[in-house]
Amino acid sequence: MTFEGQGISVTFGRRRILFDVDFTASAGAITAIVGPNGSGKTTLLRAFCDEIPHDGTVRINGRNIATCDAAELATIRAVLPQSVMLAFPFTVSEVVHLAQASRAARPCADLPRRALAAVGLAGYGARRYQDLSGGEQQRVQLARVLVQVWEPVVYGVPRWLLLDEPVASLDIGHQLMVMRLAQDFAARGGGVIAVMHDLNLTAMFADKVVLMRLGRVAAAGRVSDVFNDDTLSAAYGPALRVNSTPTDGSLFILPHSAA
Amino acid sequence: MTTVMAADADVIHDRRSRARRLGLLLAMLLICMATASLAMGAAGTSLWYALIDLVQGRTLAPVDHAVLWQIRLPRTVMAIFVGAALAVSGAVLQGLFRNPLADPGLVGVSSGAGLGAIVAIVLGASLPAGLAGLAGPHLVPLAAFSGSWITIIVLYRISTRGGQTSVATMLLAGIAIGAITAAGSGLLIYLADDQQLRDLNFWQLGSLSGSTWQRVMVAAPIILVALMASPFLARGLNALALGEAPAAHLGIPVQRLKTMAVLVVAAATGAAVAVSGGIGFVGIVVPHLLRLASGPDHNTLLPNAALLGASLLLAADILARIVIAPAELPIGIVTAILGAPVFLWILLQRRKDLVL
Repeated sequence: MTFEGQGISVTFGRRRILFDVDFTASAGAITAIVGPNGSGKTTLLRAFCDEIPHDGTVRINGRNIATCDAAELATIRAVLPQSVMLAFPFTVSEVVHLAQASRAARPCADLPRRALAAVGLAGYGARRYQDLSGGEQQRVQLARVLVQVWEPVVYGVPRWLLLDEPVASLDIGHQLMVMRLAQDFAARGGGVIAVMHDLNLTAMFADKVVLMRLGRVAAAGRVSDVFNDDTLSAAYGPALRVNSTPTDGSLFILPHSAA
Repeated sequence: MTTVMAADADVIHDRRSRARRLGLLLAMLLICMATASLAMGAAGTSLWYALIDLVQGRTLAPVDHAVLWQIRLPRTVMAIFVGAALAVSGAVLQGLFRNPLADPGLVGVSSGAGLGAIVAIVLGASLPAGLAGLAGPHLVPLAAFSGSWITIIVLYRISTRGGQTSVATMLLAGIAIGAITAAGSGLLIYLADDQQLRDLNFWQLGSLSGSTWQRVMVAAPIILVALMASPFLARGLNALALGEAPAAHLGIPVQRLKTMAVLVVAAATGAAVAVSGGIGFVGIVVPHLLRLASGPDHNTLLPNAALLGASLLLAADILARIVIAPAELPIGIVTAILGAPVFLWILLQRRKDLVL
């Protein structure tokens, strides 16, 4: 089962943001979308969610999303936005429960509590969302998204997590926590597509990387195929050096090594 | 740790059950206010003695019968429906615009109704006799109702492109349309004679004194349909608090939600304003007070708003009737005098929490 984008093009006014992007992600894996600011990562994700007008088709598990209604889509994929400004003073618990109001989540009173515990916010239920820090708010939203697609596979059909910079406002401990949640979701058969800025976390957790540049796919494949000095330097600008740890050979990139 | 986590699960149910208990209290308050509204008035008719008479099988004096059945009861019923309509419309619009300060005035319903009323008052006299005769005393309410619907349909069409309604456009276009209708009203005020100006002024200040069974029978069903449709908006409005895109990702048909919300507000406010004129502050103050008391969940906010709005308008109408009896204050003055300070107090109390 796959998540497929074919010939995705997006134009804002006269400016073309995406040029015929082809994209495939597999269930059971984390697919990371990386690239410099303005390369079209988030726009691509928004096109995948049908949030913005776009050309091309998006297929989830083989179904064209243009033929699905909102309620149906909500049962097979959940979307974590970069940040959410809440209009009214809902509590943390109420925000997470919003996911259960959708038909996607089977009503199970215990899920929101378990999801909050999973993102390290056990006991925060009664707190007001607006009183939390940005990173805590982001984790509340992740808990809400997790509740929406709690079981990664339903009747043999994988569900999808679409994450827009899920670790951007988090400390290193919570970054690892969130990436491990994503990894666990994928390991249990679900699909994860994440827009990422942190190349090291991407190298650690992603099974596949799509490198964007100027609205096009510059490179795609396994981390070891995409993360090399030439490809990354061409995409990001400064001459970057990809290093590997002596123990297990996993890749890392230090800003110090940039020329 | 486990006790803390167990507490988590109960939190949401705590607020919800608190809201339900509050709803029960509000229902009792409504019954008290309705009884008070039936019992009080300029005439010396006593509800208590009338009830004793009825229980003992005596017939009421014709005067008392008329006062209770033809004046106080329709007026009380009308106040309940109008108050509920204004409060629920306010709550729905605030949810739709994701802004706690939104009210029906923002989407042109009130100003459109006002223009309709002014057209009827000023130009009604020059209508062909047959048409004027047909509408009779209901010309002003009919014109006000049409005016509110015309403005909201225009507004909806302006802000909908390619099947998508932009709430931001609606807000801004609402201001523009408000200015246009104000200009039209101003022009007609300039043309009006003294008697018409007086009628106009009173209409704008609002009053329930024109409540007859006939008007109740026309306005109440429209408002009732809108009120009964409003609970179906609750889930969508809750999700909309996250933003339009996240609500859609949760499976909410956002465009249908917007259309339905606009229809509910247009029906409820249009009918309410048509029969009662311009009554302010109920739509803003009631949802606010309820959010402070029991949280912003629309599942309980909307029904509680209907109950509290009805009670508040009954209270305001009772005051309007007795403060300078046997004359009457326009009810819009009473709601403004009561509502504005409460509103300011809320702003000052919760300044840091207010999310605009």
